[in-house]
Amino acid sequence: MKNFFAALWVEMLKTRRSKVPFFTALGFLILPLVSGLFMIILKDPEGAKSMGLIGTKAQLTAGTADWSAFFSILSQGIAVGGAILFAIITAWVFGREFSDRTAKELLALPTSREAIIGAKFVVIAVWTFGLSLVIFGLGLVVGYWVDIPGWSMELLRSATGGVLGSALLTIVLLPFVALVASMGRGYLPAFGWAILTVATAQIAAVMGWGDWFPWAVPALFSGAAGPRAELLGIHSYLVVILFSGIGLAATFYWWRNADQTR
Amino acid sequence: MMEFAIETNGLSKFYGDVRAVDSVDLRVKRGEVYGFLGLNGAGKTTTIRALLGMIRPSAGEVRVLDQTLGGDGRGPWSRVGHLVENPAAYPELSVRENLEAARRLHGIQNPKAVDETLEKLSITTYAERKAGTLSSGNFQRLGLARALLHKPELLILDEPSNALDPAGIVEIRELLAGLAREQGTTIFMSSHILTEVNLLADRIGVIHKGRLIEELDAARLEEICAKQLVIGTRDAHQAREALAGFEVTALEDGRLAVKDVRAVEAPDMIATLLVNAGAAPTHLAIEQENLEEYFLRLTQSSEPRRR
Repeated sequence: MKNFFAALWVEMLKTRRSKVPFFTALGFLILPLVSGLFMIILKDPEGAKSMGLIGTKAQLTAGTADWSAFFSILSQGIAVGGAILFAIITAWVFGREFSDRTAKELLALPTSREAIIGAKFVVIAVWTFGLSLVIFGLGLVVGYWVDIPGWSMELLRSATGGVLGSALLTIVLLPFVALVASMGRGYLPAFGWAILTVATAQIAAVMGWGDWFPWAVPALFSGAAGPRAELLGIHSYLVVILFSGIGLAATFYWWRNADQTR
Repeated sequence: MMEFAIETNGLSKFYGDVRAVDSVDLRVKRGEVYGFLGLNGAGKTTTIRALLGMIRPSAGEVRVLDQTLGGDGRGPWSRVGHLVENPAAYPELSVRENLEAARRLHGIQNPKAVDETLEKLSITTYAERKAGTLSSGNFQRLGLARALLHKPELLILDEPSNALDPAGIVEIRELLAGLAREQGTTIFMSSHILTEVNLLADRIGVIHKGRLIEELDAARLEEICAKQLVIGTRDAHQAREALAGFEVTALEDGRLAVKDVRAVEAPDMIATLLVNAGAAPTHLAIEQENLEEYFLRLTQSSEPRRR
């Protein structure tokens, strides 16, 4: 356990010194800001029409200017945007060890490889979930500032569950990104994997198999295609947990057993 | 405690049809400096990675500091320092932070270990500099600092003199020699710089095409390197006729060379023969093959033999 905390300290130092957390936060900040902008447009439909494309898009995305629609955009944005952005974070945490050729410095140490990989996953979980909380919090501030109608504590409770649930479902699928970054020994294969899963999730959802396809579950949970109770069953969550476990186990197994030639 | 710090039996690593390392039996005694020589691609780094548990051998056994490596990455790593291929460091961390990270991962309690090692490797001036901005020589020193940070019993170094300037090479050589002499540190170092190995090593192993083709004490090298009598004369044709009983080869500069032990041991007799034949020598010297020549002769000779 002492070794694990040493590894965690090192991973946190690397994260703190990197510019990646700043840029990922900056990239994700667009979500509540654009959601707020949509609300401003939708509050004034005549103005929205006169704004051309942006007005059309805003109406397609949200429909009406109320807190329910605003939370729905945030939740969908975290599910879909998070799938890409969180994958970038994961690809960086694992893939940088190969790009910087530092992977070989993590192997022959008294601190076990398992402790180091565990520390990486903890950093990714804290980083991505923290980012989701910041986005949600900022969304509340933006919504309050835009003065959206339809607020209720009941809605807040359900929206918190929706937004953070989407984030959590996205995060637990990240071990596969870590595995691909490790096996591919760099960032690029992991980016490719993230794009592939987002694209296939769309196809699976359209074909009606989304409830069985783990990477489609977070977006369906967010309400992107309708009420989640109608789209997902207990089996959907079990599939996500199963694939999360497989990804985690495979990543640990790979770091312990694969030949490290870089 | 066993006599050997490193022991491999039939160590082999195959990548498909490529035999990167083939049946290598290494014995590195405790406190010994072992020079591991080989051309690029000979199998030096693959062997080193196997010694550090970074790759699973296809066959054979590896023992390091009395522990057999099981292929799951576990080993006596708190007692082993290493530098594999080019050194690596986190570019956005300072030199000090890189070493501090290594200190924690090695579980070193002494917080002064970082400063002491910075001083030992003469990089204190660069302590707060980001590793990504270091010159290649100082980057190499940072890699060596990490290898030495925990005062290991065994150092496994892959080309430790890489990227260092001549003064740096001497400095690191003296540092390593001091560690071996004063602290009894076992050093296993690979290199393709033969003179560097020759100056530091107690024993030398030569790997070629994945096979350990020669292993010898450094002291024996002097005896093994071939000697020849080199003759300069104004009439090479006449001289060749005078030395008809010997195998004479012409050197590129026009001089003649005789490897025959009778000539090497009695140059005065050769001089007499030449003078009597009217081809008096203008130059007569016994020259010894240097390590480079010996190494090339070894690697270019017939197919590697099984040890």
